[in-house]
Amino acid sequence: MLRARWETLLVGPFLISAGLLFGSQFIFLRQSLHRDLRFGQQDPAWSIANFVQILSDPYYLHALWLTTYISLSVALICVVVGFPIAKVLARQRSRWTSFLLSTVVLTSFITTVIQIFGLIIIFRADGPVNELLRAAGITRQPLEVIGTPLGVVLGLVYASFGFAVMLMYGVVLTIPRSLDEAAAVHGASRARVLLRVVLPLCAPGLIVAFLTIFNSCMGSFTSAALLGGGRVLTLPVLIQRTMLLDVKYGVAGALAGLLLLFVVLLNVASVIVLRRFRATRGVAL
Amino acid sequence: MSAAVAPTIDVVQARREARAAWRARIPVGRLLTIAYFVAVFTILLAPLVVVIGGSFSAPPNDTVVMSYVQFPPKRLTLQWYERIPATELRALGVSFALALAVATAAAVLGVPAAFGLVRGRFPGKAAVGILMRAPLQVPHVVTGMAFLQLYYAAGDLWGGYLQGTPAGLFLAHLFMATPFVVGSVGAVLYGFNPRLEEAACILGASRWRTFWRVTLPVIMPGVFTGLLYAFIVSFVDVPVAIFLASPQAMTFPVELFHAMEQDFTPSSLASASLAAAFAIVLVYAAQRFLGLDALLRSRTK
Repeated sequence: MLRARWETLLVGPFLISAGLLFGSQFIFLRQSLHRDLRFGQQDPAWSIANFVQILSDPYYLHALWLTTYISLSVALICVVVGFPIAKVLARQRSRWTSFLLSTVVLTSFITTVIQIFGLIIIFRADGPVNELLRAAGITRQPLEVIGTPLGVVLGLVYASFGFAVMLMYGVVLTIPRSLDEAAAVHGASRARVLLRVVLPLCAPGLIVAFLTIFNSCMGSFTSAALLGGGRVLTLPVLIQRTMLLDVKYGVAGALAGLLLLFVVLLNVASVIVLRRFRATRGVAL
Repeated sequence: MSAAVAPTIDVVQARREARAAWRARIPVGRLLTIAYFVAVFTILLAPLVVVIGGSFSAPPNDTVVMSYVQFPPKRLTLQWYERIPATELRALGVSFALALAVATAAAVLGVPAAFGLVRGRFPGKAAVGILMRAPLQVPHVVTGMAFLQLYYAAGDLWGGYLQGTPAGLFLAHLFMATPFVVGSVGAVLYGFNPRLEEAACILGASRWRTFWRVTLPVIMPGVFTGLLYAFIVSFVDVPVAIFLASPQAMTFPVELFHAMEQDFTPSSLASASLAAAFAIVLVYAAQRFLGLDALLRSRTK
């Protein structure tokens, strides 16, 4: 064993990380406690007026609800649709699996903006999807996806799916294959192995993947800004507009503080639930 | 009901066997899996195919607006590639250099931090771990706004403004990317068998030699995974860079974002296709030479 003082290695990275964390979070939270005057100036007196204004305005509360709702849908779709992919890629070896895995990684290398270009062409009124639906006689009116929450969800799914599969691929690999085989030897069908062995063991990891996707959706704004058509106002869109267009640092800071607090509380709550879940199930992870 | 109509045991048995044989011949589960994969990957890759296809499509006639993109293309053209604005090409270069710098710096900070967190013994270790991981919980849009306000405040104090500079983008991306390296290297270190190092020491290797020849090769997949995640985080980011970029320091996703909001022409599809082609080469080369499947084995959390 190397007799090194490992903790000394932590000093530099810790100071830089802590500096960036506290520096960035402290400034905007302090700004949020000052009232906005005109042209980006702020009242030097302390006040919680910004928070009162946000929490008493249904406009902002609706934005928070919409953001949460959209993020939950995206995380759910990514985990449910992506898990079978991750499971098969992690469990089966063929010359296709590494190619398919690279393709999944590839999609997370492509910025959302490019995916959104494609989605807009696909879903516009005279695009391939609507042509197909009309030709098949399913719809008469063009299906509207762009400019609706559904479009925003779709854009976010494209942005998160590759990452979700990568995370869940890692989760499935941590479950020893011997457990599947043991269950199969004792006569469990493949569906039963999946439902009674693989899924319960993966559950904590899947919850972590769900939370990771949820967190990143709560803070992303590309999809809502480009696919929302100005009608789907999520909290990140409002924060960006308040900060860069209205130049109201105080209100933007308060909105960001609210979003941050909300996400951190949800995460802490789920970590507590997850701990309990692990303790009762006795799953070692 | 006469008894003759009711099937005898033998007939039931024969039917059951026939059904089993049919099932064995046609692997239903396997076909379903393949169908599922084909469906998901088709849907997943559709936007990318449309963008690349659209970038070669010539407008059907002169009367349609510039922004009209035909898919599937009826006539092919390279005109959009000739018209890619220089700003978009430069932004692509900036994004690549930035992501490379961020990934490298994140590894320089993250690898020692992971060693300290996993192997160090000191009071408050749990709290330090939570703090190092905290940026993962901060929504990206909050990170962007927070760093913009930090740079304003720091500039008012010291006179040097970081917003709109490459250094400003670099610091904010480093903040987001470091926890990924700490996480993926930490995960490998937790599973590291210290006996490997003991064995090297007993056989007479010096401390440095042990580190370079034993420890480092074992944790390398974790380091590469961290680099991969850190690179991606910086390379595709919009919500942070939208606050911090300026015409002097513009990243590719933000440049495309503005192009889409303001003056969309199919030449944006052409530069997007170039970026995609670049990503394709990068990812399949990584798979070929590093083995992505091995890398992703060491997961972030």
